[in-house]
Amino acid sequence: MIEVRFRRGAPGAEAPRILPLAEGAAPPPAVAAAARAARFAGRAGAVLDLAGPPRVILVGLGRDPGPLACEKAGVAALRAAGEVAEIALDDAALPPEAAAAVAAGVALGAWRPPTLQARPAAKPPRRLTVHGPGAAAAEAAFAPRAAALAGCLLARDLTAEPANRLTTRAFAERLEALAEEGLEVEIHGRTWLERHGFGALLAVGRGSASPPRLAVLRWRGALPLPPLALVGKGIVFDTGGVCLKPAEGMEAMRADMAGAAACAGAMLALARRRSPAPAVAVLAIAENAVGARAYRPGDVIRTASRRTVEVVDTDAEGRLVLADALHHAITAFRPPAVLDLATLTGAVVTALGHHRAGLFGTEAALLAAAAAAGEEVGEPLWPLPIGQRHREDLRSDIADLRQCAPAGSGAWGGRLIPDACHAAAFLREFVGETPWAHLDIAGVERAEEAHAFGPAGPTGFGARLLDRLVAMRFEDEP
Amino acid sequence: MPDIAFVKPALPRAGALVLPLAEEAPLGPLAKQADEATGGAISRGLEAAKFTGRKGQSATLWAPGAGLTKVVAVGLGKSADLSATAAEAAGGAIAPAIAKEREAMVAADTLTPVLAASLALGLRLRAYRFDRYRTTEKEEDKPKLERVALAVADAAHAKAAFAPMQAVAEGVFLARDLVSEPANVLTPAECAERCKALEKLGVEVEILGPKEMKKLGFGALLGVAQGSANEPRMVVMKWMGAPKGKKAGKPLAFIGKGVTFDTGGISIKPAQGMEDMKWDMAGAGTVIGLMAALAGRKAKADVVGLVGLVENMPSGTAQRPGDVVKTASGQTVEVINTDAEGRLVLADVIHYCIDKFDPRFMVDLATLTGAIIIALGHEHAGLFSNDDTLAQRIEAAGRAVGEAAWRMPLGEAYDKQLKSDIADMKNVGGRPGGAITAAQFLQRFVQGRPWAHLDIAGTAWTTKDLPTVPKGATAFGVRMLDRLVADHYEA
Repeated sequence: MIEVRFRRGAPGAEAPRILPLAEGAAPPPAVAAAARAARFAGRAGAVLDLAGPPRVILVGLGRDPGPLACEKAGVAALRAAGEVAEIALDDAALPPEAAAAVAAGVALGAWRPPTLQARPAAKPPRRLTVHGPGAAAAEAAFAPRAAALAGCLLARDLTAEPANRLTTRAFAERLEALAEEGLEVEIHGRTWLERHGFGALLAVGRGSASPPRLAVLRWRGALPLPPLALVGKGIVFDTGGVCLKPAEGMEAMRADMAGAAACAGAMLALARRRSPAPAVAVLAIAENAVGARAYRPGDVIRTASRRTVEVVDTDAEGRLVLADALHHAITAFRPPAVLDLATLTGAVVTALGHHRAGLFGTEAALLAAAAAAGEEVGEPLWPLPIGQRHREDLRSDIADLRQCAPAGSGAWGGRLIPDACHAAAFLREFVGETPWAHLDIAGVERAEEAHAFGPAGPTGFGARLLDRLVAMRFEDEP
Repeated sequence: MPDIAFVKPALPRAGALVLPLAEEAPLGPLAKQADEATGGAISRGLEAAKFTGRKGQSATLWAPGAGLTKVVAVGLGKSADLSATAAEAAGGAIAPAIAKEREAMVAADTLTPVLAASLALGLRLRAYRFDRYRTTEKEEDKPKLERVALAVADAAHAKAAFAPMQAVAEGVFLARDLVSEPANVLTPAECAERCKALEKLGVEVEILGPKEMKKLGFGALLGVAQGSANEPRMVVMKWMGAPKGKKAGKPLAFIGKGVTFDTGGISIKPAQGMEDMKWDMAGAGTVIGLMAALAGRKAKADVVGLVGLVENMPSGTAQRPGDVVKTASGQTVEVINTDAEGRLVLADVIHYCIDKFDPRFMVDLATLTGAIIIALGHEHAGLFSNDDTLAQRIEAAGRAVGEAAWRMPLGEAYDKQLKSDIADMKNVGGRPGGAITAAQFLQRFVQGRPWAHLDIAGTAWTTKDLPTVPKGATAFGVRMLDRLVADHYEA
């Protein structure tokens, strides 16, 4: 993450300076003529790059800017800045909260995937200095944001890693490193999984040379309560298995562990800001590979809950690994609520596109809180139903339930299957009475193009949402 | 289709007797009388069948005595939870059980008169059958049921409660008939012709042909129609039921997509499942049925129903991907996919509706996208709206009649997916959020008026029997929107 410093007084001439302006606010005299000539009026998203010297990047905040508008302005300004070593933010005209939010936007915009190029392309700035009379107050406002930012960017870092680098073992090692942050990390390997009957996770991971792992991250917090449970799908690469995916677009499947990455990011955020709320993340890590030992359609597997599942499509592996992880989270920790995040279905992309994640669950209050948290951090959700019919479609002749509805069983010639709803109906079978929310983040975990909160690539969707949800709902004294 | 009568409780001398029974409740007066007349055969039989009255449970006793051919017991569930929809479902469960009897009596004397009427409604809705093209069906396979008498203490009250329900059921049947008709029979012109039947109910019916629509500038609708030998139509139905003197209000408007067959056009659909595309006019069928329902029960509201009727065919005259058409609103559309034709038809009809009627709100119904089926499945229609009050009212009306709608999002980010390089918009926004971008497309034509869009692609047709709907056309939306009008917009 970009280094962020706070300094009293005006910035020097050396680094380009970001100057955020609300719509209708008068620009400082030095740039007023230029702003007027270029018809810069402070509209949200508007950017005016004045070469200077000193170089000034005017960025519009729109009317009555909230924190999200400020963050987006920070991202837009950073994008306009291009390849510079350092950048400054002039907070003279801003309340400290807004200045902190713009700085957070700069940090989000300055994120880049791990550099694997011999000759790296454009380098974003490494340091941001926030200048102005309110620097100290802005610094105080930035501190809690920094934790959530770190979580989001960790999620992006992990998600960006190619699968030959982020193997199941490497993923587990990266998570173990979070012990330095005050998290307790436990990694369970194949022997442990076999002993505890994690038949679903083991089946999915069986085709790969990298063995499956169950990672458990704990943040003890301060409150004497059982921990909130976060469950993440961590498929480091998803070939589809025996039901192999088409080649086109398959490279994106390295991001099929984005749910687990978001949970890990949220745990880091809680630790960084010393949240009083106890939390635990249970991450199901596996590679869904094609191989001689791979599981097959028609196989019946016994999950950790002892319930049996008939495999219909080996490419619907996410719900299987989540079934075991949800069961473990609920039985081992008795959480007051459990949330799972997963890049689970293509159907949710057809349903909601790339602008909202699908939200399913069993408790209205929890769902409403999750949706509210999402709106606050710019990671919007939309509720989708689990109907009686969706569950009926999962009836199996041989096992307790089918993993999904077979291709060809849908409407209009069999093509149209509400698979996101089916997946949610499947997961619900493993959560019992515990209040539960399921976020299907397929479609929002990465962006094809630069987006409002960062460059093209992984978005870290979910990490900031979970952190905010914890702050909103799980930090009160019992 | 059986006639329904409400009668004072008295044991029938013959035929079938139906006993709707709540869970763990004693037999009602008429049931007890029957039990005594059969020397306790009924209570013994039900016990032997382990019948407890659980919701969905049923038991049949053959020739229990006293001249009865059969006794059918149907479980109502806990009497405390007995709602109108539960009573309808029980009525629906009765229909197949007595289909082969000529006459049946339902011992509804344990129910309130209104619930007895609901039960009768459910029975009738489920007894619907579209069999006009079966010519070789064996006599013994045909349903025989001619008359069902419901025994209710306050028969007059039940009859009064049933009258409006009966009218709505007729609207449902009309819609199901239209939707079930094959496309070689139900062309746009034929569908328009059938709307004229509504004149008998007091509905004003106006039919516009291609010439009139050309004059109105319906470039989008006509573009879709131009590939077919069957000319398009637009039908405008007016039911002016608001009490005279209070005519200040604007009418409510319902708009239906009526693609009598959708091959996809040049962007042709795969063969598998294409036969289903005869019901791509279900939105129009629903609006026509709704108008019949409202007029049939003399709803005290001014309502207009508009349907755009076209056939989407590939041919030498068909429109092509890449064509740019001008809608009645003046906005231009780049046709990327000729199979996204429903929204083109609706765009022109919506514009006309605003222009002509200045409506209080508009609700459109359309089997619009496959994406909505992938999003929600078959239990919920997708509901999109720019007006939260209207949306909540529609959801509530749907819940009350067992036609569920699920709110879906709209937003600028989705709208951007429709950006065209050559015209004001494309007619598709890609696979992601496909049902949402279709709604965004429609929203560009509503001029900010209160509007709701129901994507009924997943609910217009059912491949399995539902409690009050036999396999086939559901007429989803007729009852929901009738209820919407009844609950909020009648004087």
